[in-house]
Amino acid sequence: MKIVNDLDLKKQAKDLGTSVWKTPSFLFIVMGAIIIVAMTATYYIARYDQPEILVGAESLVVAILFIIGNSVIGKVEEMAKLNKLKTEFVSVASHQLRTPLSAIRWETELLLSKLNCGLNDKQCKSLNNINILANRMTRLVNDLLDVTRIDQGRLVLKKEKVDVLEQVKGVLDNLAPLANDKKISIVLSKRGRVLTATGDGEKIKLVIENLLSNAIKYTHARGKIEMKLYKSGGFLVFSIRDNGVGIPQNQHKQVFDKFFRSDNIVKYQTEGTGLGLYISKNIIEQSGGRIWFQSRENTGSVFNFSLPAVSH
Amino acid sequence: MGKKILIVEDEATLQNALKEFLAAEKFEVVNAFDGDAAVRMARSENPDLILLDIILPKKDGFEVLDELKKDRQTEKIPVMLLTNLENPEQIEKAFEKGVSTYLVKSNYRLEEVVQKIKENLK
Repeated sequence: MKIVNDLDLKKQAKDLGTSVWKTPSFLFIVMGAIIIVAMTATYYIARYDQPEILVGAESLVVAILFIIGNSVIGKVEEMAKLNKLKTEFVSVASHQLRTPLSAIRWETELLLSKLNCGLNDKQCKSLNNINILANRMTRLVNDLLDVTRIDQGRLVLKKEKVDVLEQVKGVLDNLAPLANDKKISIVLSKRGRVLTATGDGEKIKLVIENLLSNAIKYTHARGKIEMKLYKSGGFLVFSIRDNGVGIPQNQHKQVFDKFFRSDNIVKYQTEGTGLGLYISKNIIEQSGGRIWFQSRENTGSVFNFSLPAVSH
Repeated sequence: MGKKILIVEDEATLQNALKEFLAAEKFEVVNAFDGDAAVRMARSENPDLILLDIILPKKDGFEVLDELKKDRQTEKIPVMLLTNLENPEQIEKAFEKGVSTYLVKSNYRLEEVVQKIKENLK
C-alpha cells in the first residue's frame, strides 16, 4: 500500500528532520480538507442567495490555501537547496582529501621501494598497512565523488572500445590476494573469442571490482566464486555467482539503493558503505546496459550486467 | 645523464616524493612551485617532459599551458597533467590544449606515474 506508506507523517517528519505540521504531506491533507469544507459550505451558502458572503468566504479560503501552499513550496525549496549544498560540500571535501591521501600513499610507497633506508620487516609491514588503508580511503573518496556526480546528473562516461575480458583479468589479479586469504576458489569461464563492449573502461573496471569484492567479502572461507563472460544478442554479459551469505528476500528491492547494506551482513561485516552497487547500477545503465541479480539467503547470489557489444 | 623532467607542484611533500622516486629511476629532475616559475624554467631548462599540476599559485596549470604553447621554444615539450581535479570539462579542456596524458594523483602509484612518463618519452 504505497499511498498509506506515504502518509506516515511521523516517519516523514523524522526523515526530513522537521516537525509533523511542516511536512508537505500534512499540509496537503490540510489543503484537501479545506477544499472539501469550502465546497460543502459554498453549496449551503448558495442556497441562501447571498452572493456577498459567498464571495467573501471564497476569498478567505483562497487566501488560506495560498498561505499553506506557499509554506509547502518554501519548505520544499529549502530542502532542495540544503540537498544541493550537501552534495557540493561532499564534492569539495572529497577533492580536498585527495592531496593528503596522495602524499600518504606516495611517501609510504617511497619508503617501501628499493630506496628504503634499511627498514626491518616489522616496520615494512606497518608501512604496508598504512599504504593499504590509504588506498582504501582513496577508493572511498572516489566513491563519494561518483555519488555526488550521479546526484548532480554530471556523471560523464567515455564511449570507447573496452576489452572486458582484459578488465576482468586485471581485477582478478588485484583481488586474488583477498580471495587467497579466505581460501576462496575463483573460476573464470568465457564463451566467444573477442569479448569487447562499448563503454568507459575505467568505470567498467570499477563495476567488476565492486561485484568481485562483494562476492569475496560475503562468501565464507573455502567458498566458491564463478565468473562468466559471454555474448547474448547484441550484448556482452558478465555474471558472477557466489555461494555466500545471500540477500534476504524482503530486501531484494533495495539492493541498488544508495547506502543499502543487508541486515544479515551488517552484523558481522562492518566494512562497507553501501555505495558500490548504487554506483555500479548508474554506470551500467548510463552505458546502455542492464544490471540484475538473483539471491537467496544462506545459499548465495548471482549478479549480472550487460553492455552493448562491439560488432565486428 | 637521463632525461630531464620539470615537476610543477606546489605541495612540497608530493614534489619531494616524485623527485626522489624519479631521481632513483635515473631521471634528472628540476622543480617549480608556482605557475610563473614553471614557464620560466621550461624556457631556461629546456626539459624533455613537464609534469604539471592545475591548481598552482600565481598562474594555474591551464595558463601555464597556454604560455608554453605560444612560445616556439617550449611548444613541443610534452606535458602530462598530474592533478587531483577530475571534472570532465577540465579533462576535455586539457586535451584540447594539447596535453598528452591526464592523471589523477590519488589514483596512481609512483611506479605507475613513472611508467606513464616513460611511455610519453618514447
